[in-house]
Amino acid sequence: MTEVVLAIVLGALYALGTFLVLRRDVVRVVWGVTIISQATNVYLVTMGGIHGSIPIVSHGGGGHHAVTDPLVQALVLTAIVIGFGTTALALVLTYRLYQEHGTLDLQELATTEESQ
Amino acid sequence: MSAIVAAPLLVALGGAIGCLLMRSRPRLLRGVSLLGGVGYLLATVALARAVFADSDAILVYYLSGWQAPYGITLVADRLSVIFIGLTAIVSLAALWVSVRTIDASGQRISYHALYQFMVVGITGSFLTADIFNLFVWFEVMLMASYVLVVFHSGPEQTRAGMQYVVLNLLGSAVMLLAIGGLYATTGTLNMADLARRLAEPAAYGIAPGPVLGLTGLLLCVFALKAGLVPFQFWVPGAYQAAPPPVTAMLAGVVKKVGVYAIIRLYFSVFAVATIPDSGGLSVVAGEPFLVVFGGVILVMALLSILLGGIGATGRNNLDELLAYSSISQVGFIVLPLAVAATTLPGDSLFRAGVLATIVYAIIHGFAKGVLFLVSGAIEDHVGTLEFSQLGGISEQAPVLSGAFFVGGLTLIGIPPLFGFFGKLLVFKVGVEAQNTIGWIAVGATLIGAILTITYVTRAWERAFWGPPNEFVEELTVSPSVVAVIAGLAIIIIALGIGFQPVYELANGATSAVIDTDAYVRAVLGPESAHAIGGGLR
Amino acid sequence: MSSNNQTTVIVRTVVRSVVPIIVLVAIGLLLQGHNFPGGGFIGGVLTVTAFALVYITYGAEYLSQNLLGISDGSVARRETQDVLDPDEAFFSGTVGRYSAVFGLGLALAAGGGLGAIAFGEPFLSQAVLYFDHIPVFGVIELASALIFDLGVYFVVVGSLLTILAVVGNE
Repeated sequence: MTEVVLAIVLGALYALGTFLVLRRDVVRVVWGVTIISQATNVYLVTMGGIHGSIPIVSHGGGGHHAVTDPLVQALVLTAIVIGFGTTALALVLTYRLYQEHGTLDLQELATTEESQ
Repeated sequence: MSAIVAAPLLVALGGAIGCLLMRSRPRLLRGVSLLGGVGYLLATVALARAVFADSDAILVYYLSGWQAPYGITLVADRLSVIFIGLTAIVSLAALWVSVRTIDASGQRISYHALYQFMVVGITGSFLTADIFNLFVWFEVMLMASYVLVVFHSGPEQTRAGMQYVVLNLLGSAVMLLAIGGLYATTGTLNMADLARRLAEPAAYGIAPGPVLGLTGLLLCVFALKAGLVPFQFWVPGAYQAAPPPVTAMLAGVVKKVGVYAIIRLYFSVFAVATIPDSGGLSVVAGEPFLVVFGGVILVMALLSILLGGIGATGRNNLDELLAYSSISQVGFIVLPLAVAATTLPGDSLFRAGVLATIVYAIIHGFAKGVLFLVSGAIEDHVGTLEFSQLGGISEQAPVLSGAFFVGGLTLIGIPPLFGFFGKLLVFKVGVEAQNTIGWIAVGATLIGAILTITYVTRAWERAFWGPPNEFVEELTVSPSVVAVIAGLAIIIIALGIGFQPVYELANGATSAVIDTDAYVRAVLGPESAHAIGGGLR
Repeated sequence: MSSNNQTTVIVRTVVRSVVPIIVLVAIGLLLQGHNFPGGGFIGGVLTVTAFALVYITYGAEYLSQNLLGISDGSVARRETQDVLDPDEAFFSGTVGRYSAVFGLGLALAAGGGLGAIAFGEPFLSQAVLYFDHIPVFGVIELASALIFDLGVYFVVVGSLLTILAVVGNE
C-alpha cells in the first residue's frame, strides 16, 4: 500500500518538476530542478524497499526482509547533501543572473544575447 | 591491495585542502597549488609504473578495508591509468597558465581550491569501481566546474553558467534515478559485481529488461557529460564563459570522463548482458545489450560529427569555433565504439574499435588543451576572439601560432602528428567492419574530416595569417605561458613520432576493457571467477 | 543590517532560551554519530540553525561580532580601509573566517582518514577505544570516526555560515 502511495507521489513530483522546468522564469526552473532531484531521493528510498524494521538500531537476524536496506538510506543522505550544495549554488547564480541582466525571463535573456 | 591506487586521489585532495588553508598567503597558495599539480603527476607516474610493471595488473584498493562489493573500492587498471595520465599532464599545463593569467584576487579567493577539487573529482571518476561512487565523483567535479565556468561572473558567464548548471543538475538527477533503479533490479552497485550478476541474470533473479532501460538512461547522462548531440547545448556557452585554462580542462579532460564511463560501463561491465526474450523486445532478443547501445551511439556520433563540424565552419569567433569543433571531435571519439558494438568482446573488430576510441580520446585531450590555451592567451592580450578583430598573429607570436598549428593539424590528422594515427585507426575500424555500419562510419569520418580541414583552415587563415592589425600588434604573451603551451605541442609531436609505445599502452588498456573476467576476479577475489567465466562468450 | 525593531520581545526571549538547547542537541548528535543516528552533517546543520535564529532575531553583526568575536574588516577597520588590500579585508572579515572553518574541517576529515594509512591500514579505516569503569558513564567508547565526524561538522558549519553571510549581505 505504501508503495502505491509513494508511486503516486513520485509521479506527481516528477510531473510538477517537469512542468516547472519548462517555465520561462529562471526561479521556477531552479525550483523544478530542485523538486526533480528531491523526487529522485524519494524514489531511491522507495527502491530500497520500505518494509522491515529500522536498520542499524535493531540489528537484523531473522529473515531476508527483517531490516530495511540501510544502503539506500546512506546513498540518499549523500545525495541530499550534494543536492543541498547544488541548490544553494543554483539560487545564488539566479540572483547573480538577475543582477547582471535585470530580468529572470528566459525569453528576455535570449533576446539580450542577440542584441549584443 | 596497495595504497598506490589512492595516491593520485589523495595528492589532489591534499592539494585542494592545502589551497583552502593557504589562502591568506598568495605566494604560498600558488606554490601549494603547483606543488599539488606536480605531486599529482609524480603520483600518476608511480601508479602507472605499478600497473604496467605486471603484464596484466589490476590494482584494487578497498577503502577502510571493506571488501567489495560491500565497501567503496578503487581500481586502477591500464584504462584508468591512461586517462589519469592525460589528466595529470593537461591539468599541470593549464594550472601553470592559470597562475600566470587569472587575476591575483580571483586566484586567492577560490580559483586554486576549485581547480584542485575538479581534479579530485576527475581522478575519483577514473578510479572508482562503484556506480554510486561514480555519481559522487561526478558531482565533485561538476560542482567545482559550475563555479569555475561562472568565475568571471559577467552577463555572458552567468547566462552560460545557468544553462550549464541546470542541464547538469537534471543530468545528475537522471543519473541518480538510473543508479537507484539498477540497485533495485540487480541488488548491487559494484561494477564488478554488476558484471558478474548480469552475465548470469537468472542465477541472481535479475530481469534484464529493466536493466536495459536503466542503462540506456545512464547512457544519456554520460552523453550529456561528453557533450554529444543531442545533449550538446551547454558546450559552446560554457566553453566561452569559462576562463581559458578551465576551458582547456573541460574540453581536454572533463569530457573524457563521460567517454571513459561509456567505455568502462558499456563495453566492459554491461557488455556481458543479453537482451531477454520477453517484454516486446523480440526483434533483438538474445543479442547482447551492445546491439542497442551501438545503434544509439552511432546516431549520436554521426549527428555530433555533422552538426559540430557544420557549426564550427560557420563561426566567426575562435572560441566558439573550437567549442563546436569539440562537439564534432567527441563524435569521432565514440564512432569506433558504435562499430565495435556490432561484434562481441572476443572479436578483433571489437578490440580495434575500443582501441581507436581510447587513442582518439587521448589525442583530442592534448590537442584541445593546446588549442584552448592558445585561444585563451590571445583573448587575454587582444581582448576579443572575433575573427574580424584578429589577423596576422603568426607574425606577432610565432611560437604560439606554431602550437596552434600543431594542435589544428592534429585535429585534421596530418602525418606524422599524433592525430593522424587517431584518424587512421577510426578509418581502419570502419573498413575492417565490412558491414553497413562500418561504411556509414567511414562516410561520416570522411565528411567530418573535410569539415575539420575547412574550419581549422578558416581559423588559421582568419586569425593567424595576413598582416597584423592594430589589436594584434600589442600581443605579447608571457614567455612561460608560451613555453608551457609549446611544451604541450611538443608532447603531441613526440607522441606522434613515437606512436608505437602509445599504441602499446592503448592496446593494454583495450585488453583491460575486454577482459571483464579479470576485472571481476581482481575486485571480488579469485573464487568469483567461475561465475562469469561461463557467461562470457 | 543592524538589529532592527522588527523582531518582537517574544521572539528574542524564545531565541535566547532555545539556542543553547539546540546547540546542546547538535553536539549530542555529533558525539553519538559513529554508531547511532546523528553525525557531523546533522550536528552541523543543527548548529547553524541556532546561528541562523540569532542572525534573524539579532542581525548579522551581533552574530559575527558579539557572539563569535570576529572583528569584521569591513566595519571595525573602516578608517584603515583604504590602506587595507580588499583581499586582506575579505580574509580578516566574517566571510573569510567562516570559510577558513570550512577548510579546517576538510583538513581534519581528510587527516582523520590519512591517519589510518600511518597505522598501515587502508585510507578511512576506523578504530574504537573503550574505557571501562568511568564513574557516572560506566563505559565510554572513543571512536576514531569522531575525528572524521568533527571534520564534517566544521565543513558544514563553515559552509552554511558562509552562505548565510554572503547571501545575507546582498
